[in-house]
Amino acid sequence: MVGVDDTVPFLASGSPEAPASGGDMDQSPHRVRIIDGTLACLARHGTAKTTVDDIARESGVSRATVYRAFPGGRDEILGAVVDTEMARLFSALGVRLGNAADLTTALVGGIIEASTRLRDHAALHFLVEHEPGIILGHLAFDESDRLLVTASKFTAPFLARWMSPDEAERVAEWATRIVLSYAVSPSSRLDLCNEADATRLVATFMLPGIRALQSFASGPIDITPYSTYTAAPKPDTRPTHRQLARGTPT
Amino acid sequence: MVDARQRIVEASYACVARRGMAKTTVEDVAREAGLSRATVYRTFPGGRDELIDATVSWAVFDFFAKLYDRIQGASSLEEVMERGISFAYRSILDHEVLQRVMQTEPDKLLPALTVESNRIRGGIADVLAPYLMDRGLVAGVDPGEAADFLARMVLSYISAPGRWDLEDPEQVARLVRFELLAGVVVPGVSR
Repeated sequence: MVGVDDTVPFLASGSPEAPASGGDMDQSPHRVRIIDGTLACLARHGTAKTTVDDIARESGVSRATVYRAFPGGRDEILGAVVDTEMARLFSALGVRLGNAADLTTALVGGIIEASTRLRDHAALHFLVEHEPGIILGHLAFDESDRLLVTASKFTAPFLARWMSPDEAERVAEWATRIVLSYAVSPSSRLDLCNEADATRLVATFMLPGIRALQSFASGPIDITPYSTYTAAPKPDTRPTHRQLARGTPT
Repeated sequence: MVDARQRIVEASYACVARRGMAKTTVEDVAREAGLSRATVYRTFPGGRDELIDATVSWAVFDFFAKLYDRIQGASSLEEVMERGISFAYRSILDHEVLQRVMQTEPDKLLPALTVESNRIRGGIADVLAPYLMDRGLVAGVDPGEAADFLARMVLSYISAPGRWDLEDPEQVARLVRFELLAGVVVPGVSR
């Protein structure tokens, strides 16, 4: 199963170094060419219909060259494609975050950058349309947790300019959730590729939450959790199936 | 009296619980429901695919109906969210059929779950909306947008808690009252 791998040094260390290295580095010009060729195939036909022959043809190399660069064949290539695209995304994010002069600009810029790249990614788009099981398989439950950890480990150091490292990791995780939610289930009222909308979201929902967490961390505030209470039972006003699953577009 | 459709869906769920999605056939479901294959196909002209979608849909509804029961009587927005998140998170972990299908056949389950979660998000937002209005919104916050945002976040956290320990009531309280609600509701006394 392909996915983000903690052993990829670039992603695990969370620092903006050169893109993932490993394997046959003397094949590197072929590697990148083959990966980009594969992306072009995926954008047109998805994974099911993309063979090593297609990849070789699209990349302008021989089958032998492909197998030399990726002895594990198609599966290894697809894994490398995911790693490379993740590295490219994080690299672009790093630039955007590194250039930000303040927290708002960092959050807004990072959210727009990630959302736009996800929206415009041709191969991803094809897969979401025609092979959703593959994509969603990497977004469910445990896989989502891993993705959140990876993304927040990478972006947190940039945010730590304005808050403690622990807070920065929580905020980075939160921003990643937001990007993922609106990417998987777009909203008609909020487009995170749009600067005005992204700014509104950050200003309205994120910044107050960040400040509140900071003031909580810095002083004792009594919060007794409600979930330790048990309430008296009330009349059953259980919603009907129709009410609960309204499918109202937002 | 339970109608045929409901009977078939519940039978389908029982089959999936026993044998997984891939091995559940229309024949199995018909037998389990005590109905003819013809009746099943009449009720679900789209065949097995439509039936599986309906089964997922029903299982999600059932999950949220139980959740709704659990949050009944919550007297504030904080309370409804804290109870809801805690209970939903625990229920997902404890949901044997969900966990098993996720292990063995996630690529069949997940597209259907994603479609359902879009619908459920609306339902969650509808539950939160009156509590939001009651609590009082920060000036300029659009109630529909706030309800949708909170519903998205609730779904996100219960399916992947990340750094948060959602079995710790204090962490859930912190998540709800500070991270999620600080920008949305007027600070001060909560009931």
